Amino acid sequence: MNALLEAALATLVFCAPGYPGAAGDAQPLVDQFASAVVAASGWPAGSLAAVYDPTDQGGVTKLNSADAVLAFVPYPFFVEHAAQLHLTALVQVDVVDVGPQQRWTLVAKNGRVSGPASMAGFTLLSTAGYAPDFVRSSALQGWALPPDVKIEATGQILSALRRVAAGEPVAVLLDQTQAAALATLPFAADIKTVMQSPQLPVALIVVVDSRVPPARARALQTALLKMGSGSAGGDALGALHLRSFVPAKLPSPAPTP
Amino acid sequence: MTKRLCWGLLMATVGGCAGQPRPAPPAPPSAQPSSVSALAAAIDADSKRSDHETDSKTRADIAADAGRDADSCLALEPQAAACLYYRGVAYGLQARAHPAHAGEYLNHMLDALAHADAVDPNYDEAGPSRVRALVLLRAPGWPLGPGDADAALVAARRAVALKPKYPANLLALAEALAKGGDANGARDAYARARDAAMVMPASLDRDGWLRESDQGLAKAR
Repeated sequence: MNALLEAALATLVFCAPGYPGAAGDAQPLVDQFASAVVAASGWPAGSLAAVYDPTDQGGVTKLNSADAVLAFVPYPFFVEHAAQLHLTALVQVDVVDVGPQQRWTLVAKNGRVSGPASMAGFTLLSTAGYAPDFVRSSALQGWALPPDVKIEATGQILSALRRVAAGEPVAVLLDQTQAAALATLPFAADIKTVMQSPQLPVALIVVVDSRVPPARARALQTALLKMGSGSAGGDALGALHLRSFVPAKLPSPAPTP
Repeated sequence: MTKRLCWGLLMATVGGCAGQPRPAPPAPPSAQPSSVSALAAAIDADSKRSDHETDSKTRADIAADAGRDADSCLALEPQAAACLYYRGVAYGLQARAHPAHAGEYLNHMLDALAHADAVDPNYDEAGPSRVRALVLLRAPGWPLGPGDADAALVAARRAVALKPKYPANLLALAEALAKGGDANGARDAYARARDAAMVMPASLDRDGWLRESDQGLAKAR
């Protein structure tokens, strides 16, 4: 792996399923971030490339490539794929206006859902719908969804909420930003919060399949924890609306590789 | 995290959505345009140049030029559809050039397009509705931005109702249908866009419409 790093073949994969954005548009920002990480960690200049993928399957494919040594992943992606891809959390991401953790909120039509069993036959829509294990075991832990509930990914949360308000058998799992904005919708009174998740990480930087040697990983972790506004690399974080990194604190039981 | 990241990223696709991909025109002449039509043409040229510009500083300069021309146009004729429409286009260029303020610029863009639509909905082949549809399709969605696939479909249908044979309107409708999950409807709209483009005189715009139709049809298969 040292040889890989020195030969500039190491790649940091930004996985962003469920969110808008095209790889080409993202590239300058993730390039800037990779350069800042290299500078902060003392890795050889140019030894880390970065690539962005807005899809779940695209992200998985890229992480299966031998040059993918690090990844920047939303927590739902981590829960869904950590075991399969052997992802090990390095640091947790502190996001501007959100923080390092967030709660997810399940909403449904007023009076439509009285408990998990009443969701039989429902469709559950969420930006995290690509990660059904996350939805069932993390966001809705303690809320045993009936097995026939269909969990689907959508980037069209507003459309999904309109379907809820119209009385369709649909529930929506909202992230913290979406839940906070719910009251601004003209049909907010038709929608009720059914349950909230515990605090969960927003996103993580992870080592892929032990492809970074432990000593290098520790050095990188130390460097990332020192990055933040005002420090070297602060601009690169700001461009991605990130504030800093904090030690990874995974909920228990965390997925284990 | 990624929502925030992408808020800035999407602007690159929204700013230039007044028209279809076209080759970059040469830099504008140095003489300052002074009529409504000349100012509108200058902003249109800025939009095309911006589509092909990769340097962020140059994009910001182009957006600033377009903004000044739009202000001059509105000072000449505050209620001219051309000035209102290209004020909207200029806001789109500013959204692309300044991602941190993109939300604000996009909302201004939608307001300007609504004003243009109220004055002359047929301007630029139903441009106000078409561009509105594209902004709503490509901007980040609620709660981070004005993106709204349902409203985009309404706007695209309106553009097609006003100017049913204009290929760009049919392409906007196809994109809106595809985003809403109506693959059959999208395929039909792409085919209609292709047919409409085929009967147009040869031009770079026509080439772009045919290319986009073919790409859409290939994806929809």
